Amino acid sequence: MKRGNKFLFMTTLFLVMALLASACSNGSNSGTSSNSGGASTDSKKEVTLTYSIWDKIQQPAMEAIAKEFTEQNPHIKVKVEVIPWGDYWTKMSAAAPAGTLPDVFWMHGGQFIKYATGDFLEPITSKVQAGEIDLSNYEADLASIYTLNGENYGVPKDFDTIGLAYNKELFDQAGIPYPDETWDYAKLAEVAKQLSQPDKGIYGFGAKLDTQTGYWNDMLANGGSILSADMSKSGYNDPASIEALKARYQMILDGASPTHQQMTDTEATEMFKSGRLAMIFDGSWRISDIDSSEIIKGKWDWAVLPKGKVKRGNIINGLANVMSAAGKNKEEAWLFLKFLGSQRAAEITAEMGAAIPAFSGTQDAWVKSKPHLNLQIFIDQVADTVPYPSGTMAYPVWFAKEPEIMSQAWGGAITVEEAATKVAEMMNEAIAATK
Amino acid sequence: MNSRSRYVWAYFMIAPTLLGTLIFWGWPVIHSILLSFQQSENFGLVNHWVGFDNYAKLFRDEEFWQNLRNTLYYVVLFVPITLALSTFFAVLLNTKIKGLSIYRVIFFLPQVTMPAAAAMVWVVLFAQDFGLVNHILGTREAWLSNPNYAMFVLVIVGVWGAIGLNMLLILAGLQGIPKSLYEAADIDGAKRFHKFRYITIPMLTPTLFFTSIILFIGATQIFDSIYLIIGKTNVALPSVRSLVYAYYQNSFVYFNPNYGAAIINVLLVINLILTGIQFALQKKWVVYD
Repeated sequence: MKRGNKFLFMTTLFLVMALLASACSNGSNSGTSSNSGGASTDSKKEVTLTYSIWDKIQQPAMEAIAKEFTEQNPHIKVKVEVIPWGDYWTKMSAAAPAGTLPDVFWMHGGQFIKYATGDFLEPITSKVQAGEIDLSNYEADLASIYTLNGENYGVPKDFDTIGLAYNKELFDQAGIPYPDETWDYAKLAEVAKQLSQPDKGIYGFGAKLDTQTGYWNDMLANGGSILSADMSKSGYNDPASIEALKARYQMILDGASPTHQQMTDTEATEMFKSGRLAMIFDGSWRISDIDSSEIIKGKWDWAVLPKGKVKRGNIINGLANVMSAAGKNKEEAWLFLKFLGSQRAAEITAEMGAAIPAFSGTQDAWVKSKPHLNLQIFIDQVADTVPYPSGTMAYPVWFAKEPEIMSQAWGGAITVEEAATKVAEMMNEAIAATK
Repeated sequence: MNSRSRYVWAYFMIAPTLLGTLIFWGWPVIHSILLSFQQSENFGLVNHWVGFDNYAKLFRDEEFWQNLRNTLYYVVLFVPITLALSTFFAVLLNTKIKGLSIYRVIFFLPQVTMPAAAAMVWVVLFAQDFGLVNHILGTREAWLSNPNYAMFVLVIVGVWGAIGLNMLLILAGLQGIPKSLYEAADIDGAKRFHKFRYITIPMLTPTLFFTSIILFIGATQIFDSIYLIIGKTNVALPSVRSLVYAYYQNSFVYFNPNYGAAIINVLLVINLILTGIQFALQKKWVVYD
């Protein structure tokens, strides 16, 4: 009995140790074999890359690109993984220090600096210098967003601007002409009031609590700002910014827009999709989503944003594809990253109407991807745009806290001035803390 | 078998649990205590010591005190209601009625429902425009974004979710009460209420004590229903935001794990103290045969 026990004990212990040891050696083996394997043998190692994105609407286009890439490189498979925006950065910030970032993934201008300063992203500077990729192929300054201390990290993927979506049917019923480039914010507020029928649950405008597709455009048009030009101070407490915020909130008080609670129960874009909103600001990335609604299909279109006191406001943002510095198959990841930045990938993106491709000269295909909609306004408005105000270490912090404060004003607990002043204080504190 | 090899054997047998506890419970507790005295940079790969800075900041933070009050308010509402209703339903389901197991399954169902899915259903039920609650009551109340009501919604959802398991625990306790006690009481001519008051309740106190401690600790950790039902752009958030919610926000959203760790350590201390008090008080009311 005693002997048996001891034997069992030793055997089990041995087995556990053996398992642990094999698990460890497995990990390191696969790391080295990917470097040596490709060179020493002709038959290329089968590799599966993970490509993480946050937009489900773009998933089909990204999968189409991945498929074409695998056709050209049969030994590399790509798994497209969608993590919703709400969880994306939480997951990435846990994966970065653990060394488990996906091989290739979407990067946002607001998050880039954190990941680049931590050396979690693989620089592509040497590839650029070797002429493997030409960053001047991409529109305007999009590549420079993903540059830090002279190192390049990102291959520009797309850009987006904001437009005014309107429901033609509701305009026709009221006998009001559609929005056009002559509109200003006063006209928007006036028509929104005329189109509202709160008893039927129909409202003229979705004055939602939102930044990029919401009041940031208003603030800029009114001569205000989000951040000062040198990104050292908040622009929320600028009187012109506060005036714009108040004008937007006034539309809720006037009954020209659903209340904040109604827009929390049902997202404003969803209300527009179900024909209950006559007008809404939205981003070019929502086009396919809105157009997928059976209720308003063929009954809606886009116009440019209204003019403000000072100018037409609009936010441009560009995403990039980046690769992890800790990836096990960096050679293959680079091949895929390069393909994602190619004209062909841009064409697939454009034709499938997923996003406005960053690759110069491919935007026309995107505009034509939905001929029944006036998508040209998104390209035309690029001239009015201000870049998305990220690009500092403080951005992820203040951007997460901003809606918590602003929702107090939108829900009526504090005044818009108070909220704007609080946001400004909070932003300035966050900026000071990361200096 | 000599005593030495018996020890080795015993330790080997508990090793999986012991290691699991140390690695997945012990180390995180120590780590979070260490974190609260540090300032981390670059996703926690660079840490430097800052002493009590995080705690000093915490105690000056008005929001922290509000969150603490919210958490305790929730506990005070949630624990007694859950305990009372669980006992009530357990006693009902301890009788011989038709379809007994069906009722038991129905009451236990919330326990095996995914919290996220259940939360979505509650959101729809309490919605302002099309919610069933407003429809039945004939009101147009924004339950979820009214600071006066939001906490009660959370308590309702919490109690609904917790009754199942606690009812089961109490039911087990009820069935452990010897039948002979009731028979003796019958012979003495005791009424139903007297049997409940003088036999059931005292014999149930060990179970009630255990359940109340579990409920209590669970209630102080309320997070998911705030996150899922109230949400971060809700005007009522400040009046329901709990310590664990603040911990999550600071650690994973604002990228300040050190401040988050300080918050969670305060909760740890509170839980230790209050559990200690409960154990001290149990002598007064818990009956062990």
